Amino acid sequence: MAIAIEQTAVVARRVRGYRLRRGVGHALTYVGLAAALAFFLGPFFWILTTSLKGNEDFFAFPPVWIPTEPSLSHYTALFTRSSGARYFMNSLIISSLSMVAALSVSLPTAYAIARWRFGGGFLSAFLLMLRMLPAIALIIPIYIMYKMFGLTNSYLGLVIIYTVVYIPFAVWLLVGFLRDFPIEIEEAAMIDGCSRVRALVQVVVPIIAPGLAVVALFAFIATWNEFLFAIVLTGIETKTMMVLVTSFTTGGTDAFYGEASASVVLGVLPAFAVAFMLQRYLVKGLALGGTKG
Amino acid sequence: MRLGALVLKRKRWEPFAFASPSLALIALVILFPLVYAFYLSLQNFDLSVGPDYEFVGAKNYVEALFKDPRFLDSVWNTAVIIVPSLAVELLLGLGIALLLSRVIHGRPIITALLAIPAMVSPVMGAMAWRMMFGVKFGAINNLGLQLGLLDVYFDWFSSPALAITAVVLVEIWHNTPFMMLVLLAGLQSIPQELYDAGKADGAEGWRSFWYITLPLLRFTMAVGVMIRLIDLTKLFGLVFILTFGGPGGATETVAFNTYLVGFKDFRMSYASALSYVIVGGVMVLTLIFLWIQRLREARAA
Repeated sequence: MAIAIEQTAVVARRVRGYRLRRGVGHALTYVGLAAALAFFLGPFFWILTTSLKGNEDFFAFPPVWIPTEPSLSHYTALFTRSSGARYFMNSLIISSLSMVAALSVSLPTAYAIARWRFGGGFLSAFLLMLRMLPAIALIIPIYIMYKMFGLTNSYLGLVIIYTVVYIPFAVWLLVGFLRDFPIEIEEAAMIDGCSRVRALVQVVVPIIAPGLAVVALFAFIATWNEFLFAIVLTGIETKTMMVLVTSFTTGGTDAFYGEASASVVLGVLPAFAVAFMLQRYLVKGLALGGTKG
Repeated sequence: MRLGALVLKRKRWEPFAFASPSLALIALVILFPLVYAFYLSLQNFDLSVGPDYEFVGAKNYVEALFKDPRFLDSVWNTAVIIVPSLAVELLLGLGIALLLSRVIHGRPIITALLAIPAMVSPVMGAMAWRMMFGVKFGAINNLGLQLGLLDVYFDWFSSPALAITAVVLVEIWHNTPFMMLVLLAGLQSIPQELYDAGKADGAEGWRSFWYITLPLLRFTMAVGVMIRLIDLTKLFGLVFILTFGGPGGATETVAFNTYLVGFKDFRMSYASALSYVIVGGVMVLTLIFLWIQRLREARAA
């Protein structure tokens, strides 16, 4: 009897020790994640509060971390004085057009690969090479060619290059979605007299629409974020948000805090939206270069 | 099914017809310009001198690889930025992924929040940090002064070492989330039975991490590191905004150097040669990447 009691006590102590250790472990896990969240999101929080500060808050000491009277004056200044409205629209237009164009040309190619193994392993290695290709190798010949054809400082020029640079990524993701699509549904439609193109457009597309949306959103964010082609190929009328930001880097680190912070807030908005919408696909998308353009 | 097979009998031209729009575009907008750039790299086309040029053979390549200290410095700078960035991104990414894999409630939302830096443009991330580092209005100086850690408004980009550290810090902030996502996916693909079996054999805590997790995560880590390594050789927007290559060219990366040669000096031929040197390096890394992928598939089979 005595022995049995002692054993229970030992077991109880062990269980308590285990629970304690596990409890401490859990607490540490959340402390660590809180620190990570502070590091990775802190800059966004600070930029947002900075963009809402009034001018006198900048000069206050001790510093004002959360503006007492939030104002949108920097956004107004950005939109009027720095033509921010126009450049924001440029970014929207260029990204939307490139997104649609990239999807339209990539879908049939992905279909050829998924249904007929078109190109075999060679094509997928080729697409990987294109994904890894540094944009800096393209920008010089493209710049010279665009100058020749008058495509610099135009929406069309940027949309063309963004569309093509994005094809490898789009094809890659789409092949995955198409392989998951049951071929029988398509066959049934074709037996009923549907042409292959009609089967693709009217049967396959509506069903894989969520997959198309994923690719489209990644394409949008990639073109939105792209910088090298944008800074070389855009002119005063066609600047994107990324190019606009460079105008706030002249004059040392103390210049233009209000408008610069407002432009960063607008510049990162799509990324925030897409990160939440595409949670499940983030790894695949980022690994294939979905946000790099 | 028989009938289906008959109807769906493959027409030879169909795959080509479906694939041709994008293949034609790739040929026109990527392959042709690449060939043209190679042709240019063998000339002496310099827009600051004039529109005429002539064939000079491999002169530009010889200059780039042996006689151009600025380019060789940029190679060195790029390496100095890459090595610590990769090491910290891997370790920090692994650490956070391990923490996340222990979270039971709210994992998707925390993961999505942590992933955001990787989704924003390097330009926007660099701009946010550039302002944080700002001398008078920056968050870092202001916080340091308020807490008594600093006693002057410090210029964080005043010395080469500090500027490189700043670039590395922002790069770590920008891309650790990517590494975290890749490793988290890798962690979640390790079957729980292995840990249960390990537990039965007395492997818990560190031992199970060392003998089960790490060996099984090796390929995932290799893939993540290779992708980051290849993308880091193209580092451009981040330094453009954060330091513009300064101070004194200390943070000039190969891509940024090539950009300056092409669009500030307008030496088109020489810039093309430089870009081909970069392409060569990237192709070698890509082949290593393909080899690792193949190795992984062979292991999996």
